[in-house]
Amino acid sequence: MTWIAAAARTTLVAKIIMLLMCIPLRFAGAEAFLVEDARKPSALNVSIVVFDPGVPEDLSLHRDLQVFPQIREIEAMFLPFVLSETLVKTDEWGAVRVVPKPDAAAELLVSGTILKSDGETLQLKVSVVDASGRVWLDEVFGGAVTDSYATGGNGSGLPGYQQLYDEIAERLLLARTQLEEKELTDIVEIALLRHAKELAPSAFGDYLSVADDGRFTIRRLPARNDPMLDRIERIRGAEYVITDAVDAKFQELHAEIASIYDLWREYRRKVIEYQTEDARRVQSTKSSAPRGSYEALVNLYDNYKLDRITAQEQNSLAIAFSNEVSPTIAAMETRVAELEGWVDAQYAEWHRLLEELFEVESGPEQ
Amino acid sequence: MLRMMFTATLLLLAACSQQPVVSEDMSRFEGSMPANFGGSWQRNYARDDEVNAVLRDAYNRLIRTVPDQRRPAGSGTDPSTSKQMDSLLALARLAELITRPDVLTISQTKHEISIARKDDFAMLCAFYDGVAKAIENDNGTEICGWDGSQLVSNLVLQGGLQVTHRFTISTDGQQMRVVTTVSSTTSRLPFTLRRFYSRFERPTSGFNCIETFSMKRVCSTTEIVR
Repeated sequence: MTWIAAAARTTLVAKIIMLLMCIPLRFAGAEAFLVEDARKPSALNVSIVVFDPGVPEDLSLHRDLQVFPQIREIEAMFLPFVLSETLVKTDEWGAVRVVPKPDAAAELLVSGTILKSDGETLQLKVSVVDASGRVWLDEVFGGAVTDSYATGGNGSGLPGYQQLYDEIAERLLLARTQLEEKELTDIVEIALLRHAKELAPSAFGDYLSVADDGRFTIRRLPARNDPMLDRIERIRGAEYVITDAVDAKFQELHAEIASIYDLWREYRRKVIEYQTEDARRVQSTKSSAPRGSYEALVNLYDNYKLDRITAQEQNSLAIAFSNEVSPTIAAMETRVAELEGWVDAQYAEWHRLLEELFEVESGPEQ
Repeated sequence: MLRMMFTATLLLLAACSQQPVVSEDMSRFEGSMPANFGGSWQRNYARDDEVNAVLRDAYNRLIRTVPDQRRPAGSGTDPSTSKQMDSLLALARLAELITRPDVLTISQTKHEISIARKDDFAMLCAFYDGVAKAIENDNGTEICGWDGSQLVSNLVLQGGLQVTHRFTISTDGQQMRVVTTVSSTTSRLPFTLRRFYSRFERPTSGFNCIETFSMKRVCSTTEIVR
């Protein structure tokens, strides 16, 4: 290597180090940065993407399906955190993070769509894919509010459907037990190599092969002391620090709105109970007034009126709920957008520097 | 001969009652809504129909549709006519009850028109891509349509009861007429009442308020961040 190439290399490495050091100190609470990965192979890192709110595009269906779009948007951010808490409690996984958008290089990526959430029933479509593209889960989980929650409620926003989250956690564990240790180790390596390929395609473009079905397999591995891989791991660690900061924002959101969300769910549950009770009342207290009489007509009109007033009340309260939590959501979204913007800007710079560095390091020896 | 005419009248009335109030053509429009009813409206009692007068006219019409059955003098009203009069009176009372609110607050968006009334549900006209969407529950169905620039709301309830409101706005947008028709399969004639409203501006307060879920109404003298 000429002295010019050596100088260029030194400059580029220095720049990367500077960029890594630029991570604001307030993000640096997490230990992922520069810490060697000492976890068990089975303890994969799990990334849970903010759920798809499942709001039909056809606005005319919202009323029929009892979908309150603004509340679904909030639930889409809120419920992944509940799942994340459940997975953390099992103590079976590595870092479990809620992320705002899918990370293709995640070791285990969990995505979900809210199919139904009415206070009494929650239905989620959950799909889980590992870094190699293997599908672990792709199914619908449904749960009814538990009796203890219905009568008590504890302001955590959690236990109403705890059974559902426990079931997802169990199914994930079951799927994991069906894999060999080698397969689990491969997932971790594939995740790192996919990330490396995104950051420095020139250096890591041919380590993985992709089958027609989109599954990734390892073609070869870089040397353990490959300096480029070391840099990638450092960058990945830096990114995790930011991801943890984003995750902390979801945690704050949960803490701030859990009690109000509990109230909302309790209200929705009561409405459903009331509707069932009211339908029974309409059947059992049919007016005995002669058909066509004023009393009979008023009875028919009032039955409809009560149903409509209940529906209106629900809409007003949905708006009131949204009014109450929207400042918290807006503040969180702004902060997450700042963090993401920072990562995107750094990512582009890392990508450029790594590509240049690879060119310098793999250039012809003079 | 009279009996045949009477039967024909009944058949005609029956046929009319089976026509949907909001036809297929009325339930769709192109572009923006044909009229804007948005705003606050207060009753103009001076122009309203007088319920008793309308009822009297309706009785007279009812009696005219009944054939002279040459009942002996002093035998009283024909029982079926008497029953019809009772049914008409019931419709009149219901129409009066429904049209009692003295203020209507109408909000109109691209998709919906909501007509809020005191002590009653807000009538809702939902249109998506210019096509009316019915509001349904176990006890009835509500659908709207446009007849030219008139907004027609039709509520079909169980037991053959129907309530139709026809809203018309004056060309200067300051006056509104609401014609409410209540009909039932138990009554040969429907009952119709007209109510008139004038637009008014609600006074504004120095507070900005929003409804919240756990704290109810929250007000501020400064702008509220949403």
